[in-house]
Amino acid sequence: MNTLANIALRNLTRQKKRTVLLGSAIAFGVMIVTLINGFAGAFSANVAENFSDLMAGHVFVSGSEKGEGDKTLSVIRDDSALTAAVEASGAPVRYVTRRSSFAGTLIFEGKKLQTNVDGADLSQETFLRDRLLLKEGSWDSMSDENALILSEKIASRLNVDVGDLILVQLETVTGQANVGEFRLAGVSYDAGIFGQMMSYANLGYVNSLIGLAPDEYQTMGIMLDGLKHTDAAAEAIYGRLYGGVQLFERGVKDEDGAVTPFQALMRQQKKESWEGVKYRLFTINEVLSQIEQIVAALDTTAGVILVVLFVIIMVGITNTFSMVMFERIGEIGTMRALGVHRGGVRSMFLYEALFLALGGAVAGIALALVAMGVISLFDFGMDSPAFIIMRNGHLSFFLPPLRAAANVLIIALLTLVAVASPAGKAAKLTPAEALRTQK
Amino acid sequence: MGIVELENVRKIYPLGKVQVEAVKGVSFCIEKGDFISIAGPSGSGKTTILNMVGLVDQPTEGEVYLDGKPTSKLNDAELTRLRHETLGFIFQSFNLIPVLNVWENIEFPLLLGKTRVGKDEKKDWIDHLIEEVGLSEWRKHKPNELSGGQRQRVAIARALVTRPQIVLADEPTANLDSATGEQILELMKKINRELETTFIFSTHDARIVDIADHIIRLRDGLVTENRRREEEAPAACQGAEA
Ligand SMILES: Nc1ncnc2c1ncn2[C@@H]1O[C@H](COP(=O)(O)OP(=O)(O)OP(=O)(O)O)[C@@H](O)[C@H]1O
Ligand SMILES: [Mg+2]
Repeated sequence: MNTLANIALRNLTRQKKRTVLLGSAIAFGVMIVTLINGFAGAFSANVAENFSDLMAGHVFVSGSEKGEGDKTLSVIRDDSALTAAVEASGAPVRYVTRRSSFAGTLIFEGKKLQTNVDGADLSQETFLRDRLLLKEGSWDSMSDENALILSEKIASRLNVDVGDLILVQLETVTGQANVGEFRLAGVSYDAGIFGQMMSYANLGYVNSLIGLAPDEYQTMGIMLDGLKHTDAAAEAIYGRLYGGVQLFERGVKDEDGAVTPFQALMRQQKKESWEGVKYRLFTINEVLSQIEQIVAALDTTAGVILVVLFVIIMVGITNTFSMVMFERIGEIGTMRALGVHRGGVRSMFLYEALFLALGGAVAGIALALVAMGVISLFDFGMDSPAFIIMRNGHLSFFLPPLRAAANVLIIALLTLVAVASPAGKAAKLTPAEALRTQK
Repeated sequence: MGIVELENVRKIYPLGKVQVEAVKGVSFCIEKGDFISIAGPSGSGKTTILNMVGLVDQPTEGEVYLDGKPTSKLNDAELTRLRHETLGFIFQSFNLIPVLNVWENIEFPLLLGKTRVGKDEKKDWIDHLIEEVGLSEWRKHKPNELSGGQRQRVAIARALVTRPQIVLADEPTANLDSATGEQILELMKKINRELETTFIFSTHDARIVDIADHIIRLRDGLVTENRRREEEAPAACQGAEA
């Protein structure tokens, strides 16, 4: 090892208290920033995965038909072209779900409640059974045609028990008022603020309520092997559909200022007119595109904190190293007399600061990782209000390695800037001055 | 010409608005292999002169020749290199590097500069020097675990490790008791004879100048006496005009 670097490293051990103090300050700053980065890193993936569980897909295709009075109604009548395209796309598909849904009013013994009901093919969607834990009742009773599964919260608000009959008021796809009757088959554990979204019925019965044929549905959900395949799979499936069926263009921009690509897509259909079913392909990322803005905001916040903390820490580093320079002025003179060049003196100080910064930064990241590990041990339960940003009820973190590396680099650079002036002063001293000034 | 020659050297320090003339026109010549004492009371200019001979400071006027070559035109990097290659330093307050142990302190100058010494050769040489200064049992100790005399022995070994032509020692015994100081001077003298290294040491103690081959006395920045022991006339280098 380079002699001067070696001495610089050992010099850090001379004033242990001071080194530990400065190192801890650096470590603390890095830890905070790393925690935010880690949280932001897992945030969008967690939200997207949780939503794709709830929505039963990463990539979605829905159909629209123009009805009377230019009203659009949501329906997929024949999905053979869709199925073929999904198959031909070569996307890593885990399974395909077919769902219809409506927003309606559930009524039980005078109590009323607005909710979304998803009609799912439960013989196919075994994943839903694994994901949605039942508190009461059983999935087996879903074989009843008009079976319904409600979340704990909705069930208690309606004060219904398994086996009770629940009246439902809704509109069909064409806008006619309709009523139906569900039998409560199960109550699922609550999923926090999204509990309202989690009412499930049989696809066939939902279809009959909203005026679709038994083999029709509204949205095809394509569940992939993971969130990361989403964009590529969407591209591939869209490519297969293109030219074969009527298709809304992807990635349209809306001049009226649609906030998300998904909104733009929805507005697009209002402006156009067509015959028959026209398909729309969208992804969980597009639905949740605002998540990326949250992540960017979190990372920016982390960056600002990093810089603010480090400007403060830098002042400490500059002052400390000015002190260090005076304490070691005799050594500087000695080394210069023995043949150390100016640059050598400078780099000795820079090395020392660099080692301090790296030590602090690595310790900070290590502490953050430990903190992440500990925090993610806590089970907040699936009913936590923050369920959607968690992974299976646990806060989870993902620290993008490049971001961690960038943080270390920033710290190292800022530290070097902070010691540049004392190191420069040390290097500028003539050996005679340095030797004379020593105590 | 001698190994060190000063020609009308003046040194003026700016001190606020006034100027302090620490050395007021000094010329002398030193023969290779001599053991030289620069003696004089406090403030007479000993350190200033040694600093200029040691190239850690430069004269305001005049010229310092090392091995016949003028040094006033050299830049900092060249001076640093020349110090490393031709000079060794021993300081009043020892000036060892506190984080290095005895062996590493002695090795330190060898790790600077470009010339790389073979590993075994280096080890043998440092071990030899440690033995020479009587610190074989202390090689792994840090400076703060040594007595003043021991520290100065380490400094002597460190000054010799690059086999310099000249070793400069500014009041090497001032921080030592007189018995230890004498031992240190004896050691320097012994090495001076064995390795034929030129030693220049300064002292304000009139009693220890007798050990020197050549005595230069200073007072108020001027030379008041300059003679080699075996010569009656003032010391002059061979070939130099009298
Ligand atoms: N950097 C400086 N600035 C101003 N004056 C200086 C400086 N260095 C030395 N002097 C002055 O120059 C004169 C000679 O100083 P020098 O240190 O060479 O004497 P010295 O013989 O080594 O004394 P001592 O025995 O006390 O070490 C003194 O008057 C001193 O105050
Ligand atoms: Mg002095």
